[in-house]
Amino acid sequence: MAKETKAGFRGHFDHLSAGELAFPFCEECGRWHWYPMPLCPHCRSSRLSWRPVSGTGEIWSWTVVRHAFDASHRDKLPYVVALVCFEEAPGIRLVANVEAASPDELRIGMPVELVPPVPGEPAQHAAFRPVRPTQLA
Amino acid sequence: MRNDIAIVGVGQTRPVRRADRDIRALVVEAIQLALDDAGIDASEVDGIISDGVIMPASVPRDYVAAQFGIARRFDGGMSYGGAGSACAPMLARMALEAGQADVVVYYFGVDWGSRESGPYGFHNIYPAKMAFEKPVGFSGQPSYFALWARRYMHEYGLTEDDLAAIATAQRESAIRNGHAQLQKPLSVADYHASRMISDPLRAADCCLITDGAAAFVMTRMDRARDCRRRPVRVLGCGFGSEALSGDDSFTQKPKQLTIPGAREACGRALGEAGIGLDAVDFSEIYDCFTISCLMQVEDLGFCAKGEAGPFIRERGIGVDGKLPVNTHGGLLAHSYLLGAEHVVEAVRQLRGEAGDAQVKDAEVGLVTGLSVPDYGVLVLGR
Repeated sequence: MAKETKAGFRGHFDHLSAGELAFPFCEECGRWHWYPMPLCPHCRSSRLSWRPVSGTGEIWSWTVVRHAFDASHRDKLPYVVALVCFEEAPGIRLVANVEAASPDELRIGMPVELVPPVPGEPAQHAAFRPVRPTQLA
Repeated sequence: MRNDIAIVGVGQTRPVRRADRDIRALVVEAIQLALDDAGIDASEVDGIISDGVIMPASVPRDYVAAQFGIARRFDGGMSYGGAGSACAPMLARMALEAGQADVVVYYFGVDWGSRESGPYGFHNIYPAKMAFEKPVGFSGQPSYFALWARRYMHEYGLTEDDLAAIATAQRESAIRNGHAQLQKPLSVADYHASRMISDPLRAADCCLITDGAAAFVMTRMDRARDCRRRPVRVLGCGFGSEALSGDDSFTQKPKQLTIPGAREACGRALGEAGIGLDAVDFSEIYDCFTISCLMQVEDLGFCAKGEAGPFIRERGIGVDGKLPVNTHGGLLAHSYLLGAEHVVEAVRQLRGEAGDAQVKDAEVGLVTGLSVPDYGVLVLGR
């Protein structure tokens, strides 16, 4: 996480450092929103908290980026970016990298799980990987 | 029917990837071309409009005022990019009807062809996108629309050939236009060979990158009748949007595959014009990508959601098709001035000046501007 990260965004990264995925939750109306805002966009309450979810979601859609839109990602091409949604937090879609063996294995609706942060290193951004069949209960 | 203002002059610089002049010089040329086209001297202009976001940061209205010696009585801008261009007549009409201006100039231009960050730096103004999206490599507009395209394919069975039908038809129109940035034919096989940019979108699905500018001049009908060319009437103009910020608009829209502003803006514009979609002879639809053009065909009401793929192929969107769309080649093949060139093209069609790309007996044209989540619709008539 960059030092200059805005205060209103910090909760997400603080939770990630602890290995948790958290989103803004409204204590007033019980709904989630994303991105962070000073007021709940559903009911305008300021009683907001960062509430963790399990970290398992599913792919809403995905793309393999093959063009360097920004020089910072030139040496990472090609890479996968997905919109991940969560049953526990309806309405939220998180933009995240998915670490797949091959893009060919990706499917819309595929379950994905949060890649745990490396111990001792500050968490960067949430990344996901497909949930392997053996891991499915 | 409200038809008391008209577009009386249009101008556009030759679209190129990299211009040999800066953006200010391009805007000045476009405005001068539009004034000459109208036969109106700059001394008569008393109102200046641009889009509300991009021009104020690159070629502000005061610069135009200083260059053309205009002491403004009216000054305004709304939305950004395409919706700002399509809705310029809405602002102009307010000023002209209220007697707050007599001649209003609108302009828009970009130098994204010669800027290092190209079009991709534009979204840096959104803090959540900068914090959560750019660091994971989600910063190019093709990637935003790629997510929509893949989901659309999943939900509605859209095929690559459906997208190819749009790209190939518009390329043919660009060639017929003769002034477009792309003049090389595009076959369906060429489409499939086109470089993948952000799956499933190929280079042929993406708009061009252009250095250029466009402008148009608006005035009341009484003055319009004395201008050099036949006035093109503003029959209706509508705007619609969603309660979403620029941070949210590509990922958090409640219905990702629907653009609610399109239906609302179109209803408002057609309502003012007192006509239905069946009266529209051609449309200049904001085609930043093949997929977004296709989705708008549905959201504007030409066909039901999920049906645009086969609908477009059956009707044909070429100049001689049953549903002519982007008769100059659009943003995919003519130029990428974010839809300002769509207004210019619609005016030329309605004057009968479109040459080989002329839609026969064109009397009513629809122009749209998509600036997610904002949407503008302009209905013009001969």
